[in-house]
Amino acid sequence: MINRRHFITTVAVGTASAAALAACGTGSSSSGETGSAEKPVTINYTWWGNDDRAERTRKAIALFESKNADIKVNGNFTDFAGYWQKRATEAAGGGLPDVMQWDLSYLRDYGQRNQLLDLSTVKINTDAFEKSLLPSGQIKGKTFGIPTSTNAFAVYYDPAKLASLGITEPDGSWTYKEFNEFLVSVGSKSNGALFGSTDYTGVWWMFNVWLRQNNIEAFTSEGKLGFSKDDLKKWWNLTADLRGTPAIISEERVTQLAPKSPFGSNVTATEVTWDNFMAGYLGDSGAKELKLVPVPSDDKDNLGLFLKPSMLMVASAKTKYKDAAARFIDFMVNDPEVGQIFKTSRGVPASKTQRDGTTFEGTDKVVVDYETSIAQYLKDAPEPPIVGFGTLETSFKRVASDLNYGKLDINGAADAWFKEAEDLIKQNA
Amino acid sequence: MTTMATPTQSTPDAQMPQYNPKSESMGAKRVKSTLFHIVALALTAVVLYPALWMVASSFKPNSEIGGTNTSLWSSNFSMDNFVTAMDGIGGVSTLQFFTNSLILAVGAVVGTVLSASVSAYAFARIKFPGRSVFFGMMIATLLLPFHVVIIPQYIIFNQLGLVDTYVPLLIGKFLAADAFFVFLMVQFMRNLPAELDEAARIDGAGHVRIFTSIMLPLMKPALISTSIFSFIWSWNDFLGPLLYLNTPDKYPLPLALRLFVDQTQSSDYGAMIAMSVLALLPVLIFFLIFQRYIVEGVSTQGLKG
Repeated sequence: MINRRHFITTVAVGTASAAALAACGTGSSSSGETGSAEKPVTINYTWWGNDDRAERTRKAIALFESKNADIKVNGNFTDFAGYWQKRATEAAGGGLPDVMQWDLSYLRDYGQRNQLLDLSTVKINTDAFEKSLLPSGQIKGKTFGIPTSTNAFAVYYDPAKLASLGITEPDGSWTYKEFNEFLVSVGSKSNGALFGSTDYTGVWWMFNVWLRQNNIEAFTSEGKLGFSKDDLKKWWNLTADLRGTPAIISEERVTQLAPKSPFGSNVTATEVTWDNFMAGYLGDSGAKELKLVPVPSDDKDNLGLFLKPSMLMVASAKTKYKDAAARFIDFMVNDPEVGQIFKTSRGVPASKTQRDGTTFEGTDKVVVDYETSIAQYLKDAPEPPIVGFGTLETSFKRVASDLNYGKLDINGAADAWFKEAEDLIKQNA
Repeated sequence: MTTMATPTQSTPDAQMPQYNPKSESMGAKRVKSTLFHIVALALTAVVLYPALWMVASSFKPNSEIGGTNTSLWSSNFSMDNFVTAMDGIGGVSTLQFFTNSLILAVGAVVGTVLSASVSAYAFARIKFPGRSVFFGMMIATLLLPFHVVIIPQYIIFNQLGLVDTYVPLLIGKFLAADAFFVFLMVQFMRNLPAELDEAARIDGAGHVRIFTSIMLPLMKPALISTSIFSFIWSWNDFLGPLLYLNTPDKYPLPLALRLFVDQTQSSDYGAMIAMSVLALLPVLIFFLIFQRYIVEGVSTQGLKG
């Protein structure tokens, strides 16, 4: 599957660049064709997601159409993996839908190849957005994506499980040493029935947070690696004493539990990941309540945290209906009623107008409250990740899991990952 | 490995082929038969376990599927997953997905059988200039991976405005683009005695008459294996519909199944598995009905003329 997908992407990218070259010189600054109430224009909107999102999006589209009689929106959806296969083919064939839900890791790839519309050339209101968030949708001065919603990194824990072990709930102001001690105490007090966590050093984004805590950027503005092999070794050394103990779940066990996560399977007490995974964890584990606290940091004033767009809205560069597409995007990201429809199922609404117009209850409130509580620590969102970032993230996870299996030592693991990363960056340069 | 064993150190395994009814009592026979069945059942259980797991899981609540739950049994068996699965996705009913799959599969069967048999007749029975070149080219398309042609094909259908219709998915079937089936039928037809159509020709039959009255009835096994394979392939096809269909109303089952599992939100494994069970039924029924012919078709292909 991976080979096939990779192949499609390669072919798509090749053809796409040819198409992009051909498109040069035909630039126009008009707002495209417009419709009227009697003769509405139809724009295509596509997203990935499950039944729940399809239902919510259908409501949002109906609302948009009732407010904009001159535009009809034709909504389509597929699953996440299929979504990108389909986009790659469409990009090559010149058939991208007018408006699309987008993921940050694909933004640079399609943006650099002129497949996406520069949204700063159309009218979309971004006044209600955090200024620190918008750069994550921009590449070299062009705005390709508008964030619909945000997520932030957090430590999840199940208060019921901690209570049954007689461990006091963490308040989230902890150093890595304290966090490790916490994981060890979970493992020892439960006599191995419950692990502390998965190995958090295998999570790319947690590494990214740690780098920021040490004032290092993961990628330079030229798209090179911004950290050294020693940084990576230092990172993987953080849990060196914990691997193979009940503090950290073994890779064998993680593989047995797949496709469910260890935390969702009630095998670990904590998990370090994005705060918008809440609904999935609650559903998988059947837990009554899960709580969120900030990640550990050795610098009390710098938690390295940032808001990341959990998804963005983009438009096709070839759309015939720029004006209609812009109005639809503006509506989806800013309208308070849309916020009321989606709640936090896309992440916490990025636009203040939309966030303030939404009432959050229960789980939704936990996530929103968490993001409010860390507001003072937030730094600028990172730029859109480099092309091929998905592969880098996957190989980071794989190398870290080899480390856990004991197939590689820390030096070998760092060498292995750096070689892959440098090859990939060279390839895509 | 049994040939290496000498009689004195023979294992039960080695004794099997040298089975001699005269030297054995009824008791020993019964033991052997029992052993054979136990081993066979154990192997069947291993082979069928995934299917069993699927059926059992389709009745379990979502939180009891996968993860730490390794037992097949659950005290919370219910039909809830099937109810959710039948509800459909995003306003499209599950029945619609079934209908779409069926239209595509039946279309594929009809198209393939019609076009492949006619083309095969031409290749096997008519001498025309360039026949071997064309035949070679057709075989060459077998070697061409589908992924090489995806993008050019998409561009063509997109320019023709045929994306989001069933035309891109079915037109190839009606134009004998499935070289595998053409090849299968050509090989089958070459094994039919040429005297039959020579006799028909003497009686004044043309190609159309020979094809419909002589060839088609004789090709029944080949036609049936073609139908079965093209039905199953079309029923299970994911990539084609993914690329060419946009509107969820037109999605076949394989696309719909994937919508239940969304790693970025919550995944409803229960409903997905329930729908997989439902999606499997038509293929299973199709197989049970035509099972006899599958074996017949496959074994006939192996015969020499």
